[in-house]
Amino acid sequence: MGRSNDILLAVENLKVHFTGDGPVARAVDGMDFQIHRRETVCIVGESGCGKTVTALAILGLLKQPPAIIADGRITFDGRSLLDMPAAELRALRGKRIAMVFQEPMTSLNPVFPIGDQIGEAVLAHERVSEVAVRRRVNQLLDDVGIVDPQRRLGDYPHQLSGGQRQRVMIAMALACEPDLIIADEPTTALDVTVQAQILGLLKKLKQEKNMAIQYITHDLGVVAAIADQVYVMYAGVVVEQGTTGIIFGNARHPYTVALLNALPTQKKRGRRLYSIPGSVPHPAYRPMGCPFHPRCEYCEPSCQNAFPALCDYGKGHHARCPILFAARGRAEETRA
Amino acid sequence: MISKVTPLLRVEALKKYFPVRRGFLQQVGGCVRAVDGVDLEIQPKQTLGLVGESGCGKSTVARLIMRLLTPDGGTVRFDGREITVLNERAFKPLRKQIQMIFQDPYSSLNPRMTVAQTISDGVRMAGIKGKSDQRKRIRQLLEMVGMPVASAGRYPHEFSGGQRQRVGIARALSVSPQLILCDEPISALDVSIQAQIINLLKDLQAELGLSYLFISHDLNVVSYICDHVCVMYRGRIVESAPASDLFDHPCHPYTLRLLAAVPETTEVGWSPQVGAGSQRAPLPDGCAFGDQCPDCHDDCVIEPPAMVRVGGQHYVRCWNATRRQCSAADPEGRH
Repeated sequence: MGRSNDILLAVENLKVHFTGDGPVARAVDGMDFQIHRRETVCIVGESGCGKTVTALAILGLLKQPPAIIADGRITFDGRSLLDMPAAELRALRGKRIAMVFQEPMTSLNPVFPIGDQIGEAVLAHERVSEVAVRRRVNQLLDDVGIVDPQRRLGDYPHQLSGGQRQRVMIAMALACEPDLIIADEPTTALDVTVQAQILGLLKKLKQEKNMAIQYITHDLGVVAAIADQVYVMYAGVVVEQGTTGIIFGNARHPYTVALLNALPTQKKRGRRLYSIPGSVPHPAYRPMGCPFHPRCEYCEPSCQNAFPALCDYGKGHHARCPILFAARGRAEETRA
Repeated sequence: MISKVTPLLRVEALKKYFPVRRGFLQQVGGCVRAVDGVDLEIQPKQTLGLVGESGCGKSTVARLIMRLLTPDGGTVRFDGREITVLNERAFKPLRKQIQMIFQDPYSSLNPRMTVAQTISDGVRMAGIKGKSDQRKRIRQLLEMVGMPVASAGRYPHEFSGGQRQRVGIARALSVSPQLILCDEPISALDVSIQAQIINLLKDLQAELGLSYLFISHDLNVVSYICDHVCVMYRGRIVESAPASDLFDHPCHPYTLRLLAAVPETTEVGWSPQVGAGSQRAPLPDGCAFGDQCPDCHDDCVIEPPAMVRVGGQHYVRCWNATRRQCSAADPEGRH
């Protein structure tokens, strides 16, 4: 398909560590993923697995120290972001890569009208007249589905509902028509009906503006709704990756399978829910070998020592579990 | 909504209006009808789900039942006894019967108290006197919620969210309640931990014969755990039905919208229904959902709909459901 030259963002073996008083916390510990143009990629994982830190590393927003980018490469459109001078990165951030954060109330400035805040995003990157900015902001608010934008320009964040604030954040991210939007749990703080509206909006805008979206979430329902490609993260590494259909229909990593089984649904009524024993390991105290082995029901002695490699199931489907991969191989041999 | 068995808890026409103060002098300029005539019943050993969006008044209902707030109208009967009229002293023994689990396990535990201290208050209240008996009971409670006994001497910050929620549950159980009000007990937890807590709540229900009021905005969880579900919108119950009825045959347009908005893992490529959101002002007299409803009729503008039975234990507050019922009862369709 010639997809390799279509790669917009590539993250290779990214390692982000945090130093402090205690032991080094390896928040991201060898993360690999790619985003192609016009693709929605979901990074799914529980709190503390390193999904937000990865996003902040891409945008160069990590405070160093305490953060250290210990290893790895981040390439955006063929250029390395980690080696880029600060001024160039600043020019890129907001212009070609934009971010939408989880809490719209804490990311909007409460003392400025929303029109000014969106306009600022435009003025930071382009030299345009006041009138042109105003027209642009108007158009952006209209694009994100704010009714009567002319009148809302002068509103302050506290005058808007949660959903409207998130729409304003998206308008701000769209201001310079970026190639990539990184959305970090943008609907987690919202009600389901509002969430549905925001997800629909992102889908629509992605089509219209030819953007790629990196969507970070812990909600598998949201993933199923919007993703093209899914990366499941656990303890700082990708444990499984594949298309949305594969991940939900044919998951091969014990963690992904367990997560899907642990979701309560009406169909599982009356049956006991599968629950993953234990809890997510602290980034500073991750187990040796496979990070998931203490909670895994397929754990074998080798899992405690050797860090598992990604096993290739074909069609872009990879899972970091040699045990299940070998088991499947054996099953296929006996069938043949 | 009258049933044969005496319900453990019966709430009727419960109301709570919060005054809105405006301006420099803080004059009362109207009120928010947070809870506006709520009726619900919880049967012994059952789980009643209360769902709705944020701000619809779900948590206020729980706080009113617990008497953390004073209602502005209506009655709350626990085990047949009206509790809104009791004074603090007379209510105290009943407070042991009704306990609460909160959403945020980080802020609902006192960071300066060890787990044992947190639970021991309740154990003392339950009338267990001697120190060794108290210790025994604390140990028993910790085992019941699946915490290691050694955790008794440790502080909340040493635990993960799921473990803290277990401590919160142990604290609620310490006075041997009959009813536990769970206010979004799992929404602050990690996905892999949620199932553990849900299983724990179900196990405890089977073991101790507890009843739950389960407040949540997560319809998947509600459909899994609840026996009966009430859907709340702008301070009112708009639909009330056994869980299977509600999820298989939802009637109220608001319930339909809620269900359509839930992204499902079984449905890859689900396309969300993008509602236009509120364009009109809420109707002053009519149906609370009227301004958002796709089937809003003239009647809906004039008068708020009453709760009507659409079969079995299934009740809906919608004129359209009433109309459909009338035409069903009237085969010639003269309605």
